[in-house]
This record gives sequence, C-alpha cells and structure tokens, in this order.
Amino acid sequence: MNLLEYPDLEVLIMQIRNASGFDFSGYARPSLLRRASRYLTKNKLTLPQLISHLEPESDIVFDLMQEMTVNYSEMFRDPDFFIGVKSEVFTYLESYPGLRFWVAGCASGEEAFSLAILLKECGYLDRSLIYATDLNNKVLTAAREGVFTLSNVRTFSENYLLAHGQNSLSDYYHVSYNKAVISREIRKNIVFSLHDLTGDGVFNEFQFISCRNVMIYFTLELRQRVFRLLYESLSMLGFLCLGKRETLRYSGIEQNFRVVDTVLNIYQKIK
Amino acid sequence: MRTSSKSQPLSLVLLGGSTGSMVIFEEVLKLLTSPPDCALIFILHRGKSSTALLPDLFRRKTGVVMIEPDHLEEIRSAHVYFALPDCHLLIGPDRRFYYDLSDKDFFSRPSIDAAFVSAAVSGIPVKAAFLFSGSSPDGAFGMRVLAEKGFATYVLDPAEAESSRMPEEAIKLYHGHRLISRANFTRTINDIIYSNGV
Repeated sequence: MNLLEYPDLEVLIMQIRNASGFDFSGYARPSLLRRASRYLTKNKLTLPQLISHLEPESDIVFDLMQEMTVNYSEMFRDPDFFIGVKSEVFTYLESYPGLRFWVAGCASGEEAFSLAILLKECGYLDRSLIYATDLNNKVLTAAREGVFTLSNVRTFSENYLLAHGQNSLSDYYHVSYNKAVISREIRKNIVFSLHDLTGDGVFNEFQFISCRNVMIYFTLELRQRVFRLLYESLSMLGFLCLGKRETLRYSGIEQNFRVVDTVLNIYQKIK
Repeated sequence: MRTSSKSQPLSLVLLGGSTGSMVIFEEVLKLLTSPPDCALIFILHRGKSSTALLPDLFRRKTGVVMIEPDHLEEIRSAHVYFALPDCHLLIGPDRRFYYDLSDKDFFSRPSIDAAFVSAAVSGIPVKAAFLFSGSSPDGAFGMRVLAEKGFATYVLDPAEAESSRMPEEAIKLYHGHRLISRANFTRTINDIIYSNGV
C-alpha cells in the first residue's frame, strides 16, 4: 500500500485545483489522506505519476474526485432514522399544502429514494418535491437512472423492513438485465441537480434537509460555513437531519435549533 | 474532566483486534484502576448494529473516562476511546478524531489499518501499538508503518491467538514486531500505559 504524508497531500490538493478547478482545501485532511493513499494503491500509481496524469477534464480527475468525495451509502441506511422521521417529523408537516425536501450530498440517490418511499407510504409524496444535490456529475447521472445491483438491493430490503416499511421494497423497483431499477413513481418527484455545498449558495427554502454523513468531509472552519448555508436554507421550524456519528457540536448554529432526537441527530430550527 | 490543549503532553496507545480479541480487551480494561498517562484507543471489528457495547460494559467499573468519541472530538490524555462500528476512526494531526465513511478494508469498518496509519502520520507520539487476535490481515500494514516510524509495536504470539491470521500477517509483513504472550501481556501493557514519557 502507498503511504502519503500530509505535505504530499497539500501538493496533491494544489495540483488538483490547478488541473480541475476543484478545491479540496476545505476538506478534512485525515480522510483525504486515507482516500488519496487508497486511490494510489488501487491504481498502482506513485504520487508523481498521479500528478503527471492530472489534466483538465481528464477521467483521472473525475475518478480521483469520486474516491475523495463519495461515501458508501445504502437505502434506508440506519433504519431507526426513518422510523424517527416518520414519528417525530412528519406529524409537523401535515398542515403544509406543499413540501420541499433537500437531500444535500445525495451521491447515487439512495437517501432521496428512501425518503420518497417513506413519503409515499405516509401519503405525502404527491405534494412533496425532493431536491437531491451533489457536487459530482457522474454520481448524479447514476442517481437519475436509479439503477442498483441486486446484491445492493438485498441490503436495502433488509434495511427497509427494519425501518418498518409497509410493503416490500420490490414494490418500488423492477428488475431488468439483472439490475434493480427504481420505479418512475418514486423518481418523479425528485429533482437531481448539481450543487457544491462548499461554494454554491442558498437556492430554495425547505421544510426538511437531510445532510447525513456529509459534514464529516469538511474541516472545522468549512463545516461552520456549510452549516450556515443549511440554516439559511431551512424555513422556520424546519428540520435538519445529520448522520448518526455527527452532531451540531462545533457547528456555530447550535443555539438556533432544538434537539428533536439526540441519538438520530434530528434538529428543528427555532430561531 | 481535565482540559486538553496542544501545550499538554499527549501520547497514544493503540490496540487492535478482531475475532478472539474481545476477551483480551476486557483484560486490558481491567488494568485501568487509575487514569493512564496516555490516550488508549481500541479498534475492534464488530457488527454495525453493536452500538456502545464496550463503554457500557466497563464505564462504571473504573474512574477512567471511556467513550466512543464524536467526530472532531479532541483526543485527551487519561481517556479511553473505542471506535464505533460501521465507520473508520482516524486520528488527525490537530489531535482530533475524524470519522471516515470510505470503503471497508478487508471487509472491516472500522479498519485497524486506517486508524493505525492515521496515528503513525499524525505527528502525535505513539507509546505503543498492539495487535491481538483475528481472522483477517487488517492491521498488518498499519503496524508496519508504526514500526518503521520508530514506535514500539507488539503482536500477540500467533500460537496463543484464538484466530492466528491477524498476528501472523503482521509478522509476515514486518519481522521486527515484539511478540507478547497471553501470560505476560497484561504486565507489558500495564508498564507502558502507566509509564511517563514516550
């Protein structure tokens, strides 16, 4: 395995910025270091070789960005989260004629599809619009297709049952050429679009934002800026959901939220 | 709880294991009768739903703080930390913990390699690293990196490990690890965690 040190990583960050315009300088270094080292090992490259291959719009830049920014994800990941959303959040949303949800950092769409299914089962989907954004165009293309391997779907189905799903997950996809394709009915209220949390601004106002396992990418300073963006994108009494390993600690906006669930990290904007 | 800052000395003791290591971890935790002169970090492979198992088992038995740290939590001396299931635990050069949700190493998350390598390059002194029993090669690379950085590395004698593959792979990858046996490892660890300096 390749071993990179922090000074090497700073060189790489600079070279990626020069080659692609994408700036990793606000990203948490320990995670980037691990991912860059893995990328080199997987592709049997040394750092100088990698740097010599970095050219604008090259595949290698996309691949590397993917390695550096994508978290593994599952539908109905942390099933108890979905139980919590249903019992502690959805009751608040009943009175709204139209609902806007934002899945920030949506990767291949797993969270957005899960949310759509949950909304469908609770009778809210028809008046809901889910914006699912990511900074990576490649994963967004995959998300729009909504295609998963059957082995992935097995895990998703187990999660769905643990999340107290009312039907069978197979009611929401069909199998084609040995792949599972999420049904149109679930996809039709989801808008997948490009958005970089670290550079782009507020684009709408939401009653609900799920930004699970995204903040862990960022440095302490950058995450405060991103938290500010999420705060400004939420309507009053809107909900913010973070990953299970995350909290509002060190966010700079702790005082503007009430804790709805400490274990599931669900917060409500109160000022 | 004492406060920690960059000016206060911090050193790490790392302990990694998988199948057959839980019982050894318990023995180590029993040694903690008073706050250790370092931060102890345990990386144990465990199922993704096994939340907070280790701290709950031991937290009440001693006066030592035992926690599964938050993302970005400062690493403090005299504290004992456990990696959460289903995410990698990394040690940052700014003396904070970082979680990472990248792919598994050798089918494991948390990965021992991920934690040990991050500690090795963090600039924080590592008093010692231990690798016990397990049926995967995870940890071997991390142990080698630590050893090559000049830190003390100890591997459980594979003949005494419930699952010998993990210690065997570590020894195969680097010949200079010190072997410890079931009979003397608690004494070795006790001497390390209560010794001053690195």
